[in-house]
Amino acid sequence: MNPVFAQGLLDVDFGLFFWVLITFLLFLFLLTKFAWKPILNALGEREKAIRESLEAAEKARDEAMHISKENEKALKEAESISQKMRKEAIEESEALRSDRAEKAKAEAQKLLDQARSTIEQEKKKALLELRTEVSKMAIEAASRILDEEIDEKRNKKIVDRYINELN
Amino acid sequence: MKQLLRFLLLSLILVTGVAVVSSAESGKENRIDLIGKVVDHYYLDFKPLATVELPRLIYDNGRLHAYRSTSSLLNKSELFTDAAYIDSEPVIREGKIKPATYRIVRTDGTSPQFDFSITSHLIFFWLAALLTFLIFIPLSSKYRKGIGRSSEPRGAFQNIFETLVVFIRDDIALQNIGPQKYQTFTPYLLTVFFFILFMNFFGLMPWGVSSTADITITAVLALFTFAITQIFATKDHWKHVFWFPGVPVPIKLILMPVELIGLFTKPFALCIRLFANMASGKILIMAILGTIFIFSDLFGPGVAYGTSWIWVFLTLFVYLIKALVSFIQAYVFTILSALFIGLAVTEHNEEHAH
Repeated sequence: MNPVFAQGLLDVDFGLFFWVLITFLLFLFLLTKFAWKPILNALGEREKAIRESLEAAEKARDEAMHISKENEKALKEAESISQKMRKEAIEESEALRSDRAEKAKAEAQKLLDQARSTIEQEKKKALLELRTEVSKMAIEAASRILDEEIDEKRNKKIVDRYINELN
Repeated sequence: MKQLLRFLLLSLILVTGVAVVSSAESGKENRIDLIGKVVDHYYLDFKPLATVELPRLIYDNGRLHAYRSTSSLLNKSELFTDAAYIDSEPVIREGKIKPATYRIVRTDGTSPQFDFSITSHLIFFWLAALLTFLIFIPLSSKYRKGIGRSSEPRGAFQNIFETLVVFIRDDIALQNIGPQKYQTFTPYLLTVFFFILFMNFFGLMPWGVSSTADITITAVLALFTFAITQIFATKDHWKHVFWFPGVPVPIKLILMPVELIGLFTKPFALCIRLFANMASGKILIMAILGTIFIFSDLFGPGVAYGTSWIWVFLTLFVYLIKALVSFIQAYVFTILSALFIGLAVTEHNEEHAH
């Protein structure tokens, strides 16, 4: 038997084992209760708050983006509508203008036609009157020349014939 | 030019070293007990300032023997009488430094029933625990007050430790255990990580001892991981151990012992890995520094003095690596614990094949 119990490198000392076991258990309990749990809870809470605020920010951003998109869409729509309206107005005005011009033209033509026909009529009338007048004058002249010889009815007939021949 | 300068400097160092020490004689035996520096002691070593003996607590035959120090126990000689059994370290006898530490034995040479004396590793374990406590209790009160709860963390102190805590929670616990159950085990992983980290760091300090270089302490930590994996293991986990699903029966029979052994090799590997890494770093530093004394024996003290700067630089290098390893090993222990816990507590799908 070796009387000297030298401690080797690989010997397990049960006294030390006992102390370390107890200490570790005690400190594990104490640290868990008073240090780790509060710290981990606080960290968890903070992370949760950060996560939530991030989520909220993301949501707000999404919403803002959605709104801005909608706005843009509305703006585009309004623009297209206004463009359409302008186009329509231009078309309408164009149509109106051409219409009016045509109408004016037609009116003018109508007036011209009217004037022409009036002139024609007047001319006819004037010619007729002229003819009657000329015939009257001719008769008068002739009657003055012939004097009482020929009665008026017969003379008129002769003159008319003469005029018709003239025509 | 530069090389020449370097050569001159080197030779100057060597020559002065030889000149100064050539007269010094190494008449007495200079033996450094390498393993003795790494193993546990019943005293705190503040050489050359002081050696603080630690209380001895021994339970034997229904009686508790409590002494203020090993010396006082030796003086009482209740448990032993024979001087041959006694090692009075750290009391120096006849001018000789005796090997590091010895257990107290009964007078007949047998060991007492239960020796639960306070040891240096235990003191540094307690210091690590206390440090963790003193850092995280004020930190938690900060969170309780709302700093870091509703606002951002304030100050370097809170930021540094919050980063570590978040790292362990997210990159170790959450990654390896999964989102359903990681919260149960995060406190354990945090405790283990900071204990190991601080214990490792104590080993880097002057007069400090890294308690993780003690297999007993790593064994306790590994035992906790083992206990947690067994307590929280799911039915699925046990099914995978004893009757592996999805494979033919002969393979099931082969896999059963493999898985059973695996249950125990996992914590065993945890224990050995941490212990070996921390102890080897310490031994390496001692060995490199010891080269100076070996050189002194082989080539004379002059050469030893002259070349000592090489070993000091190497020691510095190893020391820096140790600082890195302190972090890495704390991380590795924690992540492996998380991994083993994760393996035990996850619910597998019956359908999926392995």
